[in-house]
Formats: sequence, structure tokens, C-alpha cells
Amino acid sequence: MTKTQIATSSHPEVETAVAELRQGLRGASPRLVLFFASPRYAPAAIAAAMERAFSPAVVIGCTTAGEITSGAMLKGSVVAMAFGTVDEVAVQVVSGLRAGTSPVKEALAKLTRHFGHAASGLDPNRYVGLVLVDGLSGAEEQVMDALSTGSDLTFVGGSAGDDLAFRGTHVFAEGKAYEDAAVLAILRIDRGFAVLKTQSFKGTGRHLVATRVRTGERVVEEFNHRPAAEAYAEALGVRVESLPGMFMSHPLGLMVGDEPFVRSPQRVLGTDVKFYCAIAEGMELEVLRSTDIVEVTRAALEGQKQTLGGLAGLVNFNCILRTLELEKKAQSEAYGRLFSEVPTIGFSTYGEAYLGHINQTATMLALR
Amino acid sequence: MRKATVTGTVKGMLEKIIAVRGKANPTFVDATRAKLILKGLNPAKFTTSTPDDPELVARVRAVAAEFGVNL
Repeated sequence: MTKTQIATSSHPEVETAVAELRQGLRGASPRLVLFFASPRYAPAAIAAAMERAFSPAVVIGCTTAGEITSGAMLKGSVVAMAFGTVDEVAVQVVSGLRAGTSPVKEALAKLTRHFGHAASGLDPNRYVGLVLVDGLSGAEEQVMDALSTGSDLTFVGGSAGDDLAFRGTHVFAEGKAYEDAAVLAILRIDRGFAVLKTQSFKGTGRHLVATRVRTGERVVEEFNHRPAAEAYAEALGVRVESLPGMFMSHPLGLMVGDEPFVRSPQRVLGTDVKFYCAIAEGMELEVLRSTDIVEVTRAALEGQKQTLGGLAGLVNFNCILRTLELEKKAQSEAYGRLFSEVPTIGFSTYGEAYLGHINQTATMLALR
Repeated sequence: MRKATVTGTVKGMLEKIIAVRGKANPTFVDATRAKLILKGLNPAKFTTSTPDDPELVARVRAVAAEFGVNL
């Protein structure tokens, strides 16, 4: 068993950047290397170079809208983690997500068979799932739905980014870069782990019920039987023209007990509102208001540290909207410093995965 | 004579999904309830008095099949 190690490179050339990562992870002989790469690196080139550098380890990753490492939020870099505490890993690539018929459940069955079990037979205290999805596929709900109904395991992860260009996002496995695909992995971690979900919002007590939707397009036409934009604006006490300016600070929360699963609005389309994830007809949502990302995340990390008796590593799937809010409030450095003491990699995502597809959240895999 | 209204079927179906997938483990029970809410089916919104809507009953039956639960 080796410890969890991380490495970072900001060198613009793929081969040199990967060589720097290899140097940074020297001495490690992990079963799994996870990496997150800026879209400045040619996807196919960096996928192949990482595979060559770290084989026979399983090497997976994706492109980003910014990277995270211990102590800093980065741009134009590649970050990698050599998992010292992963005892076994299996990976599947699921392609053809946009067609809507992707065989996620079949891939899940193959993954669990690797460990000699049916999907329901793996102990969620020893096994955890990782999921990386093409962030422009619009298929995250379908992927997470299949994983959630098909397994008792927790799958945590995020949607690949491309620095807000919205032209192409990639996931990496087997030395290749894939679009319109998801990489699924199941990790056996006997030493222990936890999955953390944190978002920095409070409820306002104001509720909206989605009464008419186009779920597949992530569009709500009506809240409370009224044009969606009008009802949303009224709930915030503003005119419809001012609504987009309130989106980042006042998204909607699907409440599970006191815990919001955030649905972030993207834009107003006529009288409709388009979101970054799907809302089902009949869903009751609470209007949220933002709080302090740094302080809430600090408390969440401290709580997890106490629960696990220390943190040996963290993988942080941090929503790009959180990253933008941190930049707007000049808190990026403070956020990066939260991870100074723990080997951490992460990236700014186009969506986060935990039980379902969510927004404006950080989901994390915490290693003991 | 008033025709009797059938009620509570959806509530019963959702509770069975939670019981089967929850496996009497509080963590699994909470996770299953959350997964249902994320699919737009909040068990707390249905009671034994909720009138049966055939479309909704069919939808919950399909969701149960996705969860691998025989109703």
C-alpha cells in the first residue's frame, strides 16, 4: 500500500506536462491514476500520453473548466492523483449518450461482475463509483438515473468542461479521448472513504411547483400554472428583465429533507426558463439564496475530517458556477487554501454527480 | 349511488420500493427516498387517501421495474 500522491503541471506541451506529472508521482505504483486536464491540451494526445506514462495503472480523466490542486485553483493545467489506497478498480466506457439508448446498466453489470457480484451485491462501505460524463452531452440525468436505480453504490463525479467555450468536452480512458460518452469506474477501497456533497445556499421559504415542463430540454414552461419566468421573478420580488441577474445567487432547490439538490437556471427563453439540469413535472422547488462558499465548504471538510479520523486525499468536483462566484467575490485563493493540508485534485465541472445530476454543488470523494 | 374512488395505490407502491431497496438499512432507505424525489416522486406528497391516477400508477410501476422491484 502506498500513500495517495498528487502532481500538477502547467507546461503547455503535452509530453512535457505529462513528464512533469510522472516526475511528481515518482515512486508511486497505484492501481488508479485520475487526471483532469485543461482543454488547452489536445484531448487525444494527452489521453495517449497519460496512458503511456502510467500504465499498467488504470488511467482515467476528463477535460475541465479550470483545475483544482492542494492549495490553489488553476487554469490551463493538468492535475493528477495516484491513488495509494485503492485496492481494486474496474472501468467501463459508455458511448452514444445523445442517442438516449446508451447501455449504462449493461456497463454497470460488467463492472460489478468484475468483482464477482451482481449490482446489488457490492458492499457500499467498501466500494464507490466514479462517473465522468461529457459535459455537453445533456445526458447526465439518464446516466445517473441508470446508476442510481441499478445499484446501491454511491456514484460521485462530474461533467467534463471546456473553459466555457461549449465546443467540445472529453472523457478519457484506455488511452483515448471520448465525446458523447461517460467513463464509469468502481473502486474497492478497504481503508475507507466518504462521499461529500456541499452547496452554499439557504432556503427562502418561497416555493415553485413545475406545472409544465419539457424535461428532455431542461426547460420549465410554467411554475404554479403561470409563465415560468414571471412566477420565478415574482418569487424573488423582481421584474422578469432582472431575473437573469439573480440566477447565480438564487437558484432553485429540490429539497430532500433539509438538503437542497440544486437546479441552476441558465437563461430565460421567452417566458420559459432553461436550467442546467432537468426538472420533472410536479416537482416542488424552493427558491434558494447563496451564502458563503468558503465558510460552508470549510465546515463540511472539517466535519468529514472528524468523521473519517483524517483525510488522506480528496477529489473535488466543483461546479463552474461556484468557481465563477468565487472569482466574482475574489475568494478563489481562499477556496484553494481550504485544500492545502490534504492531497487534492479536482476541476470546475459542467455538472456534479451524486444520486442524480445536480448544479452549483461540490461533490467530493474523501479518502481515509 | 356514488362510485367509490380507489385511493392510496401510489403511496403503497412507493413504500414498497423503499422497503425492498432500503433493505431495513437506514442509509439505503434515505438514499432510495432521495432517488425517488430526484425522479419527481416525493413519497411524502402521497397518502393512503390520494386518489389513484392511472397514468401516475403506470409511471410508478415503470419506476419500480427500473429499481428491480416487483410490485
